[in-house]
Amino acid sequence: MKHLPKHLRQRWRYLGVAIETWPDAAFGRRDFQRELWYAAQNLFGDAGSADLDMTILRFDLADGDGAAVVRTRRGEEPRARAALACVAAVDGDPVGIRVRGVSGTVRACEENYIHRRREPPDQRHVAFEDAEEPAVARDGKVDVRTPEGYSGATTLDFQ
Amino acid sequence: MTYEAVHARPDGDSTVARLALTASDYGFDGVVVRNHGDALADYDPEAVSETYDVDVVPAVEVRADDPSQASGYVGNHRPDTVVLAVHGGTVAMNRFAVEQAAVDVLAHPMRGDGDFNHVLAKEAAANGVRVEFSLRDVLDCTGGRRVRRLQSLRKLRELVDYYDVPYVVSADPASHLQLRAPRELVAVGEAIGFSGEQIETGLAEWGRIASRNRERLSDSFVEPGVRRVDERDPSATGDGHD
Repeated sequence: MKHLPKHLRQRWRYLGVAIETWPDAAFGRRDFQRELWYAAQNLFGDAGSADLDMTILRFDLADGDGAAVVRTRRGEEPRARAALACVAAVDGDPVGIRVRGVSGTVRACEENYIHRRREPPDQRHVAFEDAEEPAVARDGKVDVRTPEGYSGATTLDFQ
Repeated sequence: MTYEAVHARPDGDSTVARLALTASDYGFDGVVVRNHGDALADYDPEAVSETYDVDVVPAVEVRADDPSQASGYVGNHRPDTVVLAVHGGTVAMNRFAVEQAAVDVLAHPMRGDGDFNHVLAKEAAANGVRVEFSLRDVLDCTGGRRVRRLQSLRKLRELVDYYDVPYVVSADPASHLQLRAPRELVAVGEAIGFSGEQIETGLAEWGRIASRNRERLSDSFVEPGVRRVDERDPSATGDGHD
């Protein structure tokens, strides 16, 4: 079909989203997209979810540190934020989600709010609560693998 | 000023430092470390606060089976704790918390078998006990359970509005992954019937409690409005004439 004249086309907004999870999480774009649709539908219903029309355009996750660009209709940013905040876990992996900013183009969104990956994380052993445990360290954050699961710590805890 | 009230290790999955780092990154001005009384965290508030540029407020959430036990815990913790909350969620504990002026916050009164009514609302307003709106269940439950939690939040909100009860808002995170930034909490609040200002006021209220109680805990405090001033330090008198 012939595409719409420019003034009738849908206007979009792009949310730059920071994703944090435990280092062993291995979900991908499709899993995150599914959880996001569920979150929007559970919070706003089918009608609201259709209005938000949230689509993940860029997705990158490695070693528990990730980012995504999420598209939504212009004017729906607050509700899109609420839906994103309600994504508590993806494929059983708990996730921390934060909207770093909103842009009118994908490019501006990536330039301003999606930070390029730095060096690979540092694998080490740390003395945590009277035991020697394996840990993954990155940017001053340390995720310690304890027998009961991962624990979040920082370099300050090992000084 | 926005504050978040968190549970750190061993009560949650993250250390105080990690929660402070994430909260600072998310734009909070402070974290209130409200571990339960039987799982207190071992940390240095000043060091964490200085490193991550975020206010760290030592707090306790008293958890007890019955009011008489809770009363003892409140007495034990009050003299050296900045913010004192009571773990609500049963009718007896909710009732106990709102009747004690020594309690700052009644945490999640609607959780479990807990309920709230006009009698408790009036009592909380009279004693200045803040009632907590906990967004935890909205953020990570689904289905029928979430519907019931939303219904009880609405009931609580209507009572708090009508009787002008002071309140706090929190996502009640037990790890840095459960933290959500203030703007996200405002957006969620608006989606479930709160106004944006209500959420912001509730997040800021933690900071107001902390600064009031820190003043009360300081050595110069005698009673509200009365402060001991060191005579050898002229700058402390502030009035300029002797």
